[in-house]
Amino acid sequence: MRKTFLWLSAVFMLVPLYVLTVNAFKGQQEILADPFGLAGLTLEPLARALTNPQFNVVKGYAITLLFVVAVNVLSVVLAAPAAYVIARSPKRRFRVLMLFFLAGTFIPGQVLVIPVVYVLKTLGLMGTIRGFVLFETTLTLPFSIFLYAGYIATIPAVLDQAAAVDGAGRLRTFWQIVFPLMRPAVATMVILNTFSVWNDFVNPQIILGPGSGLYTVTTGVYAAVSQYATDYTVVFPTLLLAIAPLLVFFVFMQRHIISGLTAGATKG
Amino acid sequence: MRSPRPSLFPLWPALGSLLLLTGCGGGGFAGDSQARQDENGQVTVRMLVNISPNLTQAYWDGLVKPFEQANPGIDVKIEAPTGKGVADTLPQQLAAGNAPDVVETLMADETLAKQMLDLTDQPWAKDTPLAEQAKLGGRIYTVGVGVQAQSLVFYNKTAFDKAGIELPPTTFDEFDAAMGKLRTAGYLPLQTGGDFLTGLQLLQLTNPSRAQTHPTWQQDVKAGTIKAGESMLPHLERYRTWIDKGYVDKNALGMKYADAETAFLSGKSGMYVMGSWFTATEAKADKDFEVGVFPAPVDEGQQHPGPQGATLAAPYMILKSTPNKDAALKLVQWLVTDPAAVKSQLAQDGNFRTGVERDFTPLEKEVQAILDAAPAGVPQGEGYGDASLPKGFNSAWNTEVQGLYVGKSPKDVAEGVDRWLAGRS
Amino acid sequence: MTLTREAPVVAAPPAARTRPRRDGLANALMVAPATVLYTVMLIVPVGLAFYLSLTDWDGFSANPAFVGAGNYADLLDDPELRRAAAVTLLIAAAGTAGLNLLGLGFALLVNGASRANTFFRIVLFYPHVLSALVVGFLWSAILGTSGAVNNLVTSWGGEVLPFLSDPEWATVTMIAVLVWAGFGVNVVLYLAGLQAVPHSLIEAARIDGATRWQVFRNVTLPALGPSVTVNIVLSLVTLLKTYDLVVSLTAGGPAGQTQTVAYLILWNSFHDARLGFGSAQSVILMLVTAALAFVVTRLRRRGELAVHQ
Repeated sequence: MRKTFLWLSAVFMLVPLYVLTVNAFKGQQEILADPFGLAGLTLEPLARALTNPQFNVVKGYAITLLFVVAVNVLSVVLAAPAAYVIARSPKRRFRVLMLFFLAGTFIPGQVLVIPVVYVLKTLGLMGTIRGFVLFETTLTLPFSIFLYAGYIATIPAVLDQAAAVDGAGRLRTFWQIVFPLMRPAVATMVILNTFSVWNDFVNPQIILGPGSGLYTVTTGVYAAVSQYATDYTVVFPTLLLAIAPLLVFFVFMQRHIISGLTAGATKG
Repeated sequence: MRSPRPSLFPLWPALGSLLLLTGCGGGGFAGDSQARQDENGQVTVRMLVNISPNLTQAYWDGLVKPFEQANPGIDVKIEAPTGKGVADTLPQQLAAGNAPDVVETLMADETLAKQMLDLTDQPWAKDTPLAEQAKLGGRIYTVGVGVQAQSLVFYNKTAFDKAGIELPPTTFDEFDAAMGKLRTAGYLPLQTGGDFLTGLQLLQLTNPSRAQTHPTWQQDVKAGTIKAGESMLPHLERYRTWIDKGYVDKNALGMKYADAETAFLSGKSGMYVMGSWFTATEAKADKDFEVGVFPAPVDEGQQHPGPQGATLAAPYMILKSTPNKDAALKLVQWLVTDPAAVKSQLAQDGNFRTGVERDFTPLEKEVQAILDAAPAGVPQGEGYGDASLPKGFNSAWNTEVQGLYVGKSPKDVAEGVDRWLAGRS
Repeated sequence: MTLTREAPVVAAPPAARTRPRRDGLANALMVAPATVLYTVMLIVPVGLAFYLSLTDWDGFSANPAFVGAGNYADLLDDPELRRAAAVTLLIAAAGTAGLNLLGLGFALLVNGASRANTFFRIVLFYPHVLSALVVGFLWSAILGTSGAVNNLVTSWGGEVLPFLSDPEWATVTMIAVLVWAGFGVNVVLYLAGLQAVPHSLIEAARIDGATRWQVFRNVTLPALGPSVTVNIVLSLVTLLKTYDLVVSLTAGGPAGQTQTVAYLILWNSFHDARLGFGSAQSVILMLVTAALAFVVTRLRRRGELAVHQ
């Protein structure tokens, strides 16, 4: 019973992926006539999607990857030390600071993007990689600090004190002693942030805009697909190109991704 | 908090690190305030354009290539909208302080005109199509390549034969009768769709009739002497009967614009209301029937054909903020006056311009004849120039008209339109 | 543990007297970058949104006029916003229920290490890897009036199913797709929570003759309390800002019936060039999200306390 139900659910989950994959290799007539069938497979639509001047898949991937790496590095470098101070210091001002950050977890990013346009414009960062990375990093800070602080609280403080006795400064104590122990929490945040940066649509759409010539996988897909919504020989291959590498990566890394998500989440 | 230590959050090191992160290098939009020129004196003109199945990025790149070759100092950069369209993207870019130099597809209204370069004194501007009608407060801000005929009904000749319709309908009563026959013959009488198509088609179809009952509709609505929704109520009521009788597909809202086109071209439906640019799509399509076209019908007792819905094809504006005014002017002048550029744009999107001969498809010949026979051209919906309604009217109209499909009464729809307008004035 | 308590007693090294000051500086150095960035990019924009909401700015003209609470007054009798608010709340409520029921249900079904369970976890989770934008385009190609399913249905002689053309159907379709794409995350989070349920308790209850349902109701569920709270708050906060899927699945249609508040904010701000009005909507959405998250956390905490007593 349980097994049958699970298998049926699995089929339901996978059907859209099947439709997407199969139809990426068919002509418009074949897709319309039999969307689930395997007749008349061809590589031509995929080849056309690969060479679409409006959406260079490789470029989209490169830019998105750059964003993902930059946001993750910056987020860890900024959030982890702040969380350490907040978790370790008994002073009231740091508890207040925690609440200050926590408030940010309830602010929807979409709501911010309009006023952020003016902040970035004032700083001369609109339409730049730096501006986008800084804003995306900011969006990751509240939850990262929350999670890290919770995790650090489970690391015995005696470790820092021992280091302090040995004469290590606060910064060195953190990066050399405490930070290496935070790996599960950092892994969780990196996974979460990777998904949110990778899949973000509205922020790159508005902050990068058409003037910068920069596009991510999502904004590129939007440009390539939205005007041709029913030319399925454009839609399916483009979507397939947009997701295939990421899916392959996910399947190979799933153990680390899923356990990484759980490890940090349980303790935090 | 009365701590002896300096301050709660010493900002200097932090500011320093932030500056370090952000400080290096220039902004993303190189040189917003001064001319974008590199050492060789090369100037880049950025042009935001409409992208559609007819007008692809590749088409635009190819279009401006001859201009770039003739003007080695100017590099034209085509920008595709990142939002839903140009109407969405330009305000975003303006807000971001990153406006392009030239924008295609939009027409000046009171909000936009303040941002646009006044072209009235350009000697070539007044000879462009509809230049007079598109004036705003007596000034020219928008120049176009040609005219789009809006109020056209394309029809499947095979379907008309099978249904026994000998002459295309000229009045709405005949139109209704024709739809009845088409339905009996097994066709979907009128192809409609969701997306922005629903409202657009009703505007297109009713222009000739509305222009005779309310010759200055947009101005009257703006002045408050008539109400937009109320004045369109008879048309809304008629549309509603088409839904009830199955003359249009009750699930049409689930079809996007391109869906509807495909459905008509696959021969499933009898008629399709669309602007002249459809001829360009038709020319490329594989199909086993002939497509004909007739001007939109009018009410009993009105003149037929009535005034044709006419909009500017490929309208261009130059932004006042452009650091490359001369290059932008040169480009726009070339786009709307160079014979080869004009011809290419007309052919690519199925548009027309008096005095420009090009290779017409048979269907385009018919459209040209309709344009020649029309007594006048009228602005449609949101309109242009002095005859323009608040920004966003067409989308609001579209949303309301779609309400007819989901059970709203024509009266509610009309009131919804008027409420929207009342909120914007 | 004992070590921790003893640590402060250890005789302070000679350098200790200068330590607090140096630590204070180090502390400041460690929190400042995050705090500054957060303030500049998040707090300032929130303040700016509030300020803009009091003006009639179009987003680019030089001098926006101050209109006080005018935009908020307009919000109250804006039928579009009222409709969008209702749709958004419906999506949030029904979506949260769906995500959590399926999330918890499937977590119980695939709990435990086996190859099959690993496979099922991957399959349930994978849509989260695709962006909402891709998910929307994909499902609209499958469920549209001329999409894959309807092609099949009509070729079998059936009537077209109005997945995206009827307002009620379209709303349900949207919620279903949101749940389809998102509940894998809840499965993973609930699985994490299940690891924390003491095994001994479950066995003890079994030995006492409790049925499966009784074990779940009286042992597993109370132990999962914190997970449930986290899951509900996360789902709510995520669903209240639904935007990408609206763009790609329905484009707000039919007849504007699936426009969410987030969609309307951006539409008003840019397409209609009414940035002040859009900002007022943003402020409201922010307040509602924060209030809902707060209330849910509060209610749940009370519930958890009640269970523990």
